Amino acid sequence: MSMSEDTENFEQLRRLLALKRHEQPPPGYFNNFSRQVILRIRAGEKGEDAAIFGRISWEAPWLQRIWAALETKPILAGAFGVALCSLFIAGVVFSDKGDVASGALAPSMDTASMPIGQVSLAAADHPFLAKPVVLQSSSTSPIDTAKIDESLLGALGKLRAEPGSLSFPGAN
Amino acid sequence: MVMTEPASRKASKPPDEPADAPSEATAPVEEMDLVRRARKGDLTAYDELVRRYQERIYATVYHMTANHEDANDLAQEAFIKAFQALKSFKGGSSFYTWVYRIAVNKTINFLKQRRNKGQMSLDDLDFNAEHDPDLVALISDKTPRREVGLAELQEKLNAAMQKLSEPHRLAVTLHDVQGLSHEEIAKIMDCNVGTVRSRLFYARQQLQAYLSDYLK
Repeated sequence: MSMSEDTENFEQLRRLLALKRHEQPPPGYFNNFSRQVILRIRAGEKGEDAAIFGRISWEAPWLQRIWAALETKPILAGAFGVALCSLFIAGVVFSDKGDVASGALAPSMDTASMPIGQVSLAAADHPFLAKPVVLQSSSTSPIDTAKIDESLLGALGKLRAEPGSLSFPGAN
Repeated sequence: MVMTEPASRKASKPPDEPADAPSEATAPVEEMDLVRRARKGDLTAYDELVRRYQERIYATVYHMTANHEDANDLAQEAFIKAFQALKSFKGGSSFYTWVYRIAVNKTINFLKQRRNKGQMSLDDLDFNAEHDPDLVALISDKTPRREVGLAELQEKLNAAMQKLSEPHRLAVTLHDVQGLSHEEIAKIMDCNVGTVRSRLFYARQQLQAYLSDYLK
């Protein structure tokens, strides 16, 4: 077969292949095509979110059980809400007090002047500690006294750490 | 409307001088803007990009699979994958070439899995086919062996196409059916122009042998 015959035959073939250009999908097919693509993209994005939640639920089934219980029992859900609120309020209140206490506590600490082996809790200004307490941890010196101020108000006047010791009768 | 080709590329243009498809050099600035917006998640912009290329992408996949349902799924999946991978699109080629490549790779992978199991589900011929002078000449030039209608010719042609290997079928589809240039096909198929020409020649020879009864 010569080259010219080849070319001529290919020309015939190409004319035949042109038939494929006339094959077309159902009418209106392309009107919805892009919309379907966009819908599938959106569905995929939502599917990813659902998959993340599903994975968390699958990895923590107890979380799913709690959620189901809260959904089915309104009283339990209410109690849970109240408990959460109480916890939050308590947290706020105590964090405020903690800030004041730590601010006052810091300058009253004078551990450098204390002898080695003594640990001082200087918190005379703290509302929950009435009296500074010093623990003597030396094994050679007996713990003989524990000075505890009876009055909470009395502790308010003492802003300075004082050395002290604890002793247990009969320990010697 | 002819679905496989843009109006400017219909029978009036010889397949060896095709390509009014956008290339890197001719890609409009607007397209890059659409790509940038789509990359940020703007689905309206991406919808516009899909509309621009949906017919050509569908047609390529359809001619490769000879099955409308498969072509529908694969073309949609190609656009979805392109959207998901848009952040990795550096703009080294045109968006058009890039999407084409995704669609072609997806289709070839699909055909490898489907091999020998596929059934044809051909699209109907449009009304213009009966008036195409080339086709009229083919079916009116009757011989005892070649007294066929367009529908039969369509079926024989698609059956012959399916006998080609995927790279050869793709070369014929992109060049002789869709009218892309050798250079564009080389970019899409990720090979050099010489390979495209070689594949095209071999594919035509094969088709010629399969369809000898219907050719002069």
